[in-house]
Amino acid sequence: MTPEGCGLKTYILVWLGLVVLTGVAVSVAGMDLAGWSTAVALIIAFLKSGLILLYFMHLREGGELRFLRWMIPGVLAILFLFTGLTFLDVAFR
Amino acid sequence: MENHRNDGGSKLGMWLFLLSEILLFGGLFILYSVYRFQNPQIFHLAAEALNRPLGVLNTLVLLTSSLTMALSIFFLKKGSPGRSLLFLASTLFLGILFLFNKYLEWTWKVQLGIYPDAPRLLERERGEVLFYGLYYSMTGLHGLHVLVGLGILSVMLFFILKNKINHNHSVPLENTGLYWHLVDIVWIFLFPLFYLIT
Repeated sequence: MTPEGCGLKTYILVWLGLVVLTGVAVSVAGMDLAGWSTAVALIIAFLKSGLILLYFMHLREGGELRFLRWMIPGVLAILFLFTGLTFLDVAFR
Repeated sequence: MENHRNDGGSKLGMWLFLLSEILLFGGLFILYSVYRFQNPQIFHLAAEALNRPLGVLNTLVLLTSSLTMALSIFFLKKGSPGRSLLFLASTLFLGILFLFNKYLEWTWKVQLGIYPDAPRLLERERGEVLFYGLYYSMTGLHGLHVLVGLGILSVMLFFILKNKINHNHSVPLENTGLYWHLVDIVWIFLFPLFYLIT
């Protein structure tokens, strides 16, 4: 296998993982988790995105664009910061 | 014709574009969370009215299209353009299927008189108007991205057929893949927020 690409088996396993996580998300949505259902759904969504970013989008392998790995958390941090600031306004109005 | 290529640069450019896309959709997600925070009960009830089985089906369609996209790149790099074309065509087909399901879903809602600025929708509570406004704008913007993706996929299909991209020059297909996967990731967040959280 070339160092820059992962194997066929990896891709299929990642896809299976994504399908299983979707199944978990759907079945968990049917349960009564009080205030936790949003958190659980979002955690599953982040896990699925992580699988896609690391394997399908090859962030796991690094290469010359290794620093990009840190830009995704960076952009997410900006997004969370703005969400936080927005809610500081909205929640205490 | 000899031309100068900068594969790393192309990929970096694509990634920067994708990061800006995350912020574009991110803004809408912040809007969603604020309106949801202000109207928790109504969002809860409105989300129950969406077609969850169709949402699940579309999630599976898009996840599978990500797999076929990754496989298309894998086979192009391995030097088998035939298989690459086969998987690229599958990706294209799954993308069309996704939009077709979306079309059905929207048509059903429009027939019920639920669409932006519809008189029957405006009679309902403000929270519900907001929910459907977000539903149409967020899934609409995402659908537009799928549509653009289908256009790019078709161009790539043509390029592989013409041998303009091959195992020596696969970056255009790789960048197409990055875009397609990001569109999939956006749906991964849209799906639970609109169809699951009830």
